[in-house]
Amino acid sequence: MTGVFRYTLKRVFLLALTMVLVSFLTFLAFELVSGDPARTMLGTEATEAQVTALQHEMGLDRPFFVRYFSWLGGFFSGNLGVSYSYRQNVWDLIGSKVELSLWLSLMSFVIIAAVSIPLGVFSYRFTGGFFDWPRTTLNQLCMAVPPFFTGILVSWGFGIVLRFFTPGDFPGLRVDFAASLRHLLFGAICLSIPRIAMTVRMLRSTVISEMNKAYVRTAISRGNDRKNVLMRHVMKNSMVSVVTFLGQTLAELVGAGIVVEQVLGIPGLGRFLVSSISHRDYPVVQAIVVILAFWVVLAGTVADLINQAIDPRLRITAGGGQR
Amino acid sequence: MKKRFLALILVLAISVLPACGKTAEPDTPPASTSAPTEAPEPAPTEAVKTGRAATNELNIGIAQDFDSLDPHTMTAAGTKEILFNVFEGLVKPSSEGEIIPAVASEVAKSEDGLTYTFTLRPGVKFHNGSPVTMEDLVYSIERRWNSDDAAAILAALSVIDHLDHDDTTLTITLSEPSNEFLAAVMNAYIIPAGYDKQATDPIGTGPYKFVSRTVQDSLVLERFADYWGTPGNIDKVTFKILENAEGLVLGLQSGALDLVAHMSSDQTVQLSADDFGILEGSMNLVQALYLNNKEKPFDDVRVRQALCYAVDKQAVIDLAFDGYGIPLGTSMFPSFGKYYDESLTDYYTMNIEKSKELLTEAGYPDGFDMTITVPSNYTPHVNTATVLVELLREVGVKATVQPVDWSTWLEEVYSNRKYQSTVTGVSSDNMTARKLLERFGTTVHNNFTNYSDEEYDTILAQALSETDDAKQTELYRALERNLTENAANVYLQDMADLVAVRNGLEGLTFYPIYVLDVSTLYWAK
Repeated sequence: MTGVFRYTLKRVFLLALTMVLVSFLTFLAFELVSGDPARTMLGTEATEAQVTALQHEMGLDRPFFVRYFSWLGGFFSGNLGVSYSYRQNVWDLIGSKVELSLWLSLMSFVIIAAVSIPLGVFSYRFTGGFFDWPRTTLNQLCMAVPPFFTGILVSWGFGIVLRFFTPGDFPGLRVDFAASLRHLLFGAICLSIPRIAMTVRMLRSTVISEMNKAYVRTAISRGNDRKNVLMRHVMKNSMVSVVTFLGQTLAELVGAGIVVEQVLGIPGLGRFLVSSISHRDYPVVQAIVVILAFWVVLAGTVADLINQAIDPRLRITAGGGQR
Repeated sequence: MKKRFLALILVLAISVLPACGKTAEPDTPPASTSAPTEAPEPAPTEAVKTGRAATNELNIGIAQDFDSLDPHTMTAAGTKEILFNVFEGLVKPSSEGEIIPAVASEVAKSEDGLTYTFTLRPGVKFHNGSPVTMEDLVYSIERRWNSDDAAAILAALSVIDHLDHDDTTLTITLSEPSNEFLAAVMNAYIIPAGYDKQATDPIGTGPYKFVSRTVQDSLVLERFADYWGTPGNIDKVTFKILENAEGLVLGLQSGALDLVAHMSSDQTVQLSADDFGILEGSMNLVQALYLNNKEKPFDDVRVRQALCYAVDKQAVIDLAFDGYGIPLGTSMFPSFGKYYDESLTDYYTMNIEKSKELLTEAGYPDGFDMTITVPSNYTPHVNTATVLVELLREVGVKATVQPVDWSTWLEEVYSNRKYQSTVTGVSSDNMTARKLLERFGTTVHNNFTNYSDEEYDTILAQALSETDDAKQTELYRALERNLTENAANVYLQDMADLVAVRNGLEGLTFYPIYVLDVSTLYWAK
């Protein structure tokens, strides 16, 4: 019981620490790069007096730490501030995008998990056979193809030739939920392809190295059949690293979506982050970065919990800290 | 060996699509099993075309998001371009480049140029249905002239001394005459007094009214039935935001979009002539390799001239723009009619010998190294810089392209002037020739090239105070000649504006300023 409590406490602390640290580093990064939000807002027609006046209005003339702590204070009281370029409440702007990115990431994650685990085992079973070279080349190719190209191929193939969805016309979750999910599905597919390839490759090599271990040899020599050993013992032991890897994948999916979102015209979080950075819209950038940090820690925690369920040895060290 | 390699490539190419299909199966049987049966039925674009033409709707693709929708604080050129359909000032621009009455039915200017009298047009309504009153006019002008909102202040209105008004006439008195004032009034869009939701739910008087907006996704406008002037034809116009160049092309091909402006020639060649027509207008800007005239070695006129002799404008246009574009030789473009001096275009014709001679004279017989800083989000400028690097190599000048993001460019290049050279386009957003030429005065705040010439300053002062139009035109042309002779910059071209328009959609009107007028568009029967 205390183990669970301590574990939760530790995780929550880690979460808070990550978010504060990440937000601070983002703030610092913007302090160091050139480009001023007031000047960017006013554009080429601005006079120096106007820029100065606007900087004052936006509170940009205050010292760095004052600005950071006032932002942090606002954040912990639930106020994310107002976007510079849109002049709207940040949460009103990103709420729907968080929802979209969540759908996109989860769909993509489900595809990755559902396809890569069976495919990984399959690819192990066929190691060394005739299918080896097409399998490896396909795998390499899927890993190497850049996402924008996959995006174009998928849009062209499924959007323009087969007309399963309309590239460039994302309906919106509130407008047409089913059509939106279908549109997102193709984004999710683009996102999944390289990661499926990576997971398959990783699973395969883990299974190969497990199969060479002594316990497998013992089990087989005691009369168990190979398939049974693979499914009952080797898979379980291989899953720990796969789950950890999938946890990392889940964490990076939101960020990885940027290019796919741009090509397929999905108004997600990644795309919004990029444009906000180029407009120096700090309040929006800060909010998105903190959400991403939250997401990363959350994905790590979920992977951790699943691993503990698979392998009880991990539970003791993670829960109790020390024995 | 070679054969095997080719076969491998072929297999790889074929395997990509099936691989995508395979991954779809476990998750969504409905989408991938039911869709193929219904797919082959309609000819794709035809179906969509008749669909939107039948409901009298229109989808337009744009490459960047809108900023604030408040017409007094919006700064992005792309926002102004579209909200031109929603807002109007007392006066507005016509497609011929004239300033014509809008919310004011009449404009009168006093002899001394100090007093302007605007008569409120009767029967003008806001999009929320309420009539436009004098209170709204005063509020709108004052907000852009001297309000607390720093972002809303329009510097060109600072010449206002005071306002007087009765119920139907607004009299604005200036502290000094200004030939830029009326153009500034154009940008003081009329909005309802005291209404504080402009940024999210804007209300204006234009032919189209705002319906909804989804940040980073779309903006929807609807025809305003009570518009005082010639109303629009199309009922509903949706602007879809797609930052990615490929995304825009795919959107057109898939039938999601009917019109996209400012396309590059390599985008337009991907479109089928059966579905789209490509119209060519002009961007109305001066694209040049702008030189920091204070920075070595560009502080020497011979070096600047050498660069002009080294660069073949037509080569730039051919290589980076597939031949679309009008070569320019000074800071003025053809839309300005009488102000534009065409003879300056060929003042420098490519001459490698001459260029090398000038460089030797200036003390650089072996050329020099230079940096071209370009805003990375403007692909045409980046491409131009890349071509320039090759052209300059011919005379021994080793140029390198340094891409920076827009905010950095604005701060380092445009404001702090810490750069050697840059490729960009300079336009006149208020339709005055003055805007293009004034910026080269020695002490002018936006003289980002640091150009400084005594003769230029003298002529500029004369031109700005001259009230006779013919004389002023002569002086402007003298300024243009001065810029060319002193090789202030390596002038390149007025870029072409390529617009892809779905067949059946007609009425596109080009303006000499950066706007997209939706009200003239219509679906042909």
